[in-house]
Amino acid sequence: MHEMGIAMSILDSCRAAVAQHGGGRLEEVHVAVGELSALEPELLRFAWDAAIAGGPDAACRLEVEWRPARQRCPACAEEKPRTPGSWLRLCPDCGQPLQIEGGDELDILRVSFVSYDAGGGAGA
Amino acid sequence: MTEIDVKQRILAANEAAAAEVRARYRGDGTLVINLISSPGSGKTTLLEKTVARLGGRLRLAAIEGDIATERDADRLRAAGIPARQILTGGACHLDARQVQGALADAAFPPLDVLLIENVGNLICPTSYDLGEDLKVALLSVAEGDDKPFKYPAIFSRARVTVITKVDLLPHVEFDIAAVKEQVSVLNPAGRLLATSARSGEGMAEWCGLLEELLAAKRAART
Repeated sequence: MHEMGIAMSILDSCRAAVAQHGGGRLEEVHVAVGELSALEPELLRFAWDAAIAGGPDAACRLEVEWRPARQRCPACAEEKPRTPGSWLRLCPDCGQPLQIEGGDELDILRVSFVSYDAGGGAGA
Repeated sequence: MTEIDVKQRILAANEAAAAEVRARYRGDGTLVINLISSPGSGKTTLLEKTVARLGGRLRLAAIEGDIATERDADRLRAAGIPARQILTGGACHLDARQVQGALADAAFPPLDVLLIENVGNLICPTSYDLGEDLKVALLSVAEGDDKPFKYPAIFSRARVTVITKVDLLPHVEFDIAAVKEQVSVLNPAGRLLATSARSGEGMAEWCGLLEELLAAKRAART
């Protein structure tokens, strides 16, 4: 259960990013979480609510974009479909070994905020 | 309301610290290993036996991650190498800043191999780069042969998977071929070793692999 540490990292990074734009109250944060990132989106949302509780950003929503792991055939040079949570060893078309590609995302994408000048409250 | 693109790794601060650890050991060609497994799979015992075999030839040191007790660092010091314990106080993984702190406190002499034993956990440590050259996943035969597909993140990232406690194979149902199959799906370039620290089986191969990886790092430096 390292989602709490991840939630705190997201909050720290977003506050720092908003501070560079004059500061403000966080409204919405978008993150990308990959299937191979070892992070559970539901636990992350739960941890996020705990991370922001009682602070100036307590109303901030966390939007998690899920990124499934992908398997690619180097021989066919294309991605091959798979059932989530299952793994194919060989390409269903040409029989060559498949490679895992993508799905380890753990990224902050964008942040929406209301600047303190625009009624976002006094400086934090 | 204003929207800004951040486009930043969530763990950017950890990754910056990991890059500093990596840069520190690139120059002197020290091989840095991050050992990850569930609790009780035999990480510390593997390291003790590794020290017994390689300690005379290579300069080794260990960083031990645990929630509580100095026990593992004591065991490695008793085996004859400098060791530093990191107590996470409940956290389920090590992060790169803790490793930096431990390195600063320990002031190890120049090293050939730095062995970092993570907190026992197959999930959380996977997300945290410690500045290692490679992750090594351990899987003891008593844990069951279905684990690579159940914990794909670690087994797809570990360049080496070490099956441990193979001396127990007569007593448990564990199909090494099944593990090999799963690991090859998740990680086609990954290496798989079968070992028993107790009987010594596979230990020469494991130690040989460490020496091979160290030589490769030194060769890449020049």
